[in-house]
Amino acid sequence: MSFDTIIQLEDLARHYEMGGVQIKALDGVDIEINRGEYISIVGPSGSGKTTLFNLVGGLDRPTRGKVYIDGVDISQLDAYELAWLRCRKIGYIFQTFNLIPVLTALENVSLPTVFAGVPRDEGLEKAEKLLTSVGLGERVHHRPTELSAGQQQRVAIARAMANDPAIILADEPTGNLDLNTGMEIIDLLHGLNRTRGMTLIAATHDLKMITASDRVVWMRDGAIEKIERG
Amino acid sequence: MAEHGAPGRVSFGLGDAIRLGYDYIKKRRDRALINIASVALGIAFLATLLLTDSFYRAFVVAGGAHLSIESYQYWLMFVALIVSVVGITNAVLIAVYERYREIGTLKCIGAMDRHILLLFLVESLIQGGIGGVLGFVLGVIGALISTGATTGFDIIFKVPVTELAVLFLGSTLLSILLSVIATIYPARHAAKLNPVEALSYEL
Repeated sequence: MSFDTIIQLEDLARHYEMGGVQIKALDGVDIEINRGEYISIVGPSGSGKTTLFNLVGGLDRPTRGKVYIDGVDISQLDAYELAWLRCRKIGYIFQTFNLIPVLTALENVSLPTVFAGVPRDEGLEKAEKLLTSVGLGERVHHRPTELSAGQQQRVAIARAMANDPAIILADEPTGNLDLNTGMEIIDLLHGLNRTRGMTLIAATHDLKMITASDRVVWMRDGAIEKIERG
Repeated sequence: MAEHGAPGRVSFGLGDAIRLGYDYIKKRRDRALINIASVALGIAFLATLLLTDSFYRAFVVAGGAHLSIESYQYWLMFVALIVSVVGITNAVLIAVYERYREIGTLKCIGAMDRHILLLFLVESLIQGGIGGVLGFVLGVIGALISTGATTGFDIIFKVPVTELAVLFLGSTLLSILLSVIATIYPARHAAKLNPVEALSYEL
């Protein structure tokens, strides 16, 4: 494994039992992803994109194979270390934004810093800076219901960045947005990838998103079909 | 990256849980009010009976006739408290289902099972405290209504203050206890949720 490899997947598989039938959601994926790389994952629904995300993000355990993040096999981590990985190393962005509705934008963005043990004032200050950097400096005290879909996704991006993660996992980040708003979100993510050197892995159908990426991973039936340069 | 290498520890203390729990109670007021009302009514029944007993005893001391509470009334009180607990368990279970995605999200940003458990227990503790105080006030009103015509409404001033204080503290603590007991099962259910299932849950 070279020094620059941040994620390595080895024969990664995840099978489910459903009504007595075995479903191979993911079946033998091998890939190395470099630090700072921007990867698009493309494939029809049911091709294993979300399963792959859940395994890389430490949210699910594989049936077979290994996920290495910074050379560490994450299946060896205990509950504390796994929580730490999710908190500090990985930022998640979802199609449905998944903001906490009872909290303001500022509180949503500062929440990961609470789990990271950052002092409250420092966390809030950082959250305000991040919200300003995603163009929501004037809306820090709004609640998710008072924001447009695009603004909510910006808050979610700021939240994903709160602990300066090395990896951003974005599952269909533009899936619930109109064309223009989606473009703005793509530009924002791409910019963060370039300026902050974060590794960005995005599942997408969005052609604009694919053309901006360094590599495109095409998935089908739980396996990698082909990998193209972006 | 600052934390390259060995993983550290995530943290979510009591203060953080109280702050977040308070936000949930404040913003989801209807849900909290059901729980508060549920425990408050049970405690009101309890406080009514215990205060009535106190009033009767104070009435005897003041030279009045001997009055007493029927034992079946204590049984009713016991049933009322159980109904309160079941009602709260039900309401919190529904709240857990409503918050599936949020629980999944919290786990994505670093929450561990015990942090989710703590959050739900802190919320129930706050609700139990409010319900206890409210229930005691209702109990005072109830006891005065049931005894006032016989003993006079000023009977409350003839009961020793320490006795009232003990009843107040006792019923509030019991309220908190019942509220927390009622929340343990749904809170454990929430805490053990698999983040993948929680995130893909559609209400």
